[in-house]
Amino acid sequence: MISANERLFLIESLKNGIRQDSRKLDQLRETHIYISPEEYGYVEVSWGHTKVSVRVSAAIDKPFEDRPFEGIFSINCDISSMASQKFDNYKVGNDEVLIGRIIEKAIRRSNAVDLENLCIVAGSKVWKIQVDANFLNYDGGLIDVGSFAVMLALQHFKKPDISIEDDVVIVHDVDQRQPVPLSILHVPVCLTYSFFTPYTREQILKGDTEEIWAMDATMKEEEVRDGMLVITMNKNRELIQLSKNGGVPIDASLLVELGMKGMQEVDRLTDMMRDVLKKDEKERYERGNLKLLEVGAAR
Amino acid sequence: MSHQVETGVLSRSDGSAQLTIGSTKVITSVNGPTEPKARQELPNLASLEIVIRPAQGLPTTREKLLEDKLRSLLQTIIIRYKYPRQLIQIVVQFLSSEGKSNVFTNNELSAAINCAFYALIDANIALNYSFAAVSVSLNEGKYLKDPAWKQLSESDSHHVICFSIQDGKAEKLLLLESQGDFSEEEVFDTIAKSVAECEKVHQDQRKFIGEKIDRDFIWKA
Amino acid sequence: MVQGPMEPSLRSQANTTEATIEVNVNVANFSTFERKKRTRTEKRIVELKATLEKTFEQSVMCNLYPRTVIQVDIHVLAQDGGLLAGMTNAMTLALIDAGIAMYDYVSSVSAGLHDQTPLLDLNSLEENDMSAITIGVVGKSEKLALLMLEDKMPLDQLESVLAIAIAGSHRIQDLMDTELRRQGNIRASKMTQS
Repeated sequence: MISANERLFLIESLKNGIRQDSRKLDQLRETHIYISPEEYGYVEVSWGHTKVSVRVSAAIDKPFEDRPFEGIFSINCDISSMASQKFDNYKVGNDEVLIGRIIEKAIRRSNAVDLENLCIVAGSKVWKIQVDANFLNYDGGLIDVGSFAVMLALQHFKKPDISIEDDVVIVHDVDQRQPVPLSILHVPVCLTYSFFTPYTREQILKGDTEEIWAMDATMKEEEVRDGMLVITMNKNRELIQLSKNGGVPIDASLLVELGMKGMQEVDRLTDMMRDVLKKDEKERYERGNLKLLEVGAAR
Repeated sequence: MSHQVETGVLSRSDGSAQLTIGSTKVITSVNGPTEPKARQELPNLASLEIVIRPAQGLPTTREKLLEDKLRSLLQTIIIRYKYPRQLIQIVVQFLSSEGKSNVFTNNELSAAINCAFYALIDANIALNYSFAAVSVSLNEGKYLKDPAWKQLSESDSHHVICFSIQDGKAEKLLLLESQGDFSEEEVFDTIAKSVAECEKVHQDQRKFIGEKIDRDFIWKA
Repeated sequence: MVQGPMEPSLRSQANTTEATIEVNVNVANFSTFERKKRTRTEKRIVELKATLEKTFEQSVMCNLYPRTVIQVDIHVLAQDGGLLAGMTNAMTLALIDAGIAMYDYVSSVSAGLHDQTPLLDLNSLEENDMSAITIGVVGKSEKLALLMLEDKMPLDQLESVLAIAIAGSHRIQDLMDTELRRQGNIRASKMTQS
């Protein structure tokens, strides 16, 4: 809930290009990433005040009958009242469904994870990859942060190595054999644009009004916005998802412009994920003294 | 076992705490006292909404059982008549826990209880007394505090013991969860040994809260 | 099917300044080749419902009907691509037929990209094979009220696909307009006769 005065104040300052946290309109908040040093596939991402934890887990299961060659991949992102009191613990709200759907469409529907690679024995045994995203604190941008954290966790995750002997699947302990990473086909990144308008609807529909747009809105900005657009893209300049559920109409040329501009952020975020993962890999390597295990090492 | 606590970690909740004991990591948020839904409202007491969410997968009956245990404990501890017709929402989210099984929820339960204590203090909810819990396993009569999952699954019996604490002394036994193969004598012995352990946990609590108050409040100009 | 503006069934639904638009989507089991049971709570359907509600909140003059509910029931009888586009156009026509004040038409169409060629209004088979975008345009402007793309599409091709989709929507709007005027004239002439 937000008061009428605060709403006016927020919109008026946005009109002048000023945001409450002194960011620019096209600037994302600062990101802090924690990657579990012991496990594979557990990350916590803080994005401004928004905080998400994601865990990836794998188990062996029977595939769906109509898809015997494909593994099972599911993303579960319920939002509890821990994130904010506006989310009910027992009832799934409309916003919640929408957030879940958009993240799922960005990652699962776009085939970010190669499902055929998860097949062990066709028709009877496949890997079941489950992603649990928990939203711990809400300050806007759940879609962006959620999909970022899920993609980071998926790239970090490694499943135990397996071997098959006489139709029996042997799962090797992580300490015995190097676990294998998932095969990630591409890395989708979601960017949410929020639109604000100080005009009345008549003005918008009749005249040539300019919409104010801002990236990565905070909770208060989300509360006063008049429309939002989610653009999902990957590094290969591919659009994966566009989703604008009503709200103020925006100009087609603006859409193209936002898409082009967004590419920079997509590149930056993808690089950030890569760098963080590389650093983690290096630390693990040093901590585990894996150098000793290499072929050329002096023993 | 190392206890690591951090409070006030979530800005959107009235109180929150994150606790790491060994490989169990849990975060708890407390919201309240707030407006309850009509069906939750109690005319002379605060109602409690307790939700436990697992580290992996969707909540199951296992979480419901833990919720129920936590509720029965907190019901007596929170001074509920102070907040009539109000709601206190407690969400316990496990971030990592070792092994997912329906039997060995010892470490989870004791971590949830201890974490809830810090979160309730952070939310400034009135409590009758302090409380501290320990998770214990007995293997061939050997007493082990905060067992790892492997030790837990190999043990003869395992217990969660929670004491109320007044003036730094363990007073009343608030919760006792025992499972496995054990004799009456062993339980009493375990309880007696746990008194000191709970008091030790409480010393950590006092120390942490003291530091927290020094940090959070400005007493002198 | 449009009902309302009417008294809301729950006091809590009423908005003191504007009308609430409530959309119910019902997809018939026999609407696709494959007979599949669909429930109202399916995520995909909830999403469609929310999209329609939010789109029309902006183009219906909701401020004229405070404290009321406008309920729209959409039954999908057959599907052959362009589900969201069809639903949007049908809803526009139904709202106009019900005499509810709107700022302008919302016309919607789907467009796809085959290799380098943009295609307009895809059927089911085409939709399964190529990436499709659904847009909703307000009036004769280039303003997009609704936008939905679920499959991959090269960013650089977006502009050309959008161009053809917008032109398509304008054409649909013309068709809707002629049909509405024809219906209106028939009704008007009936009234003068009696």
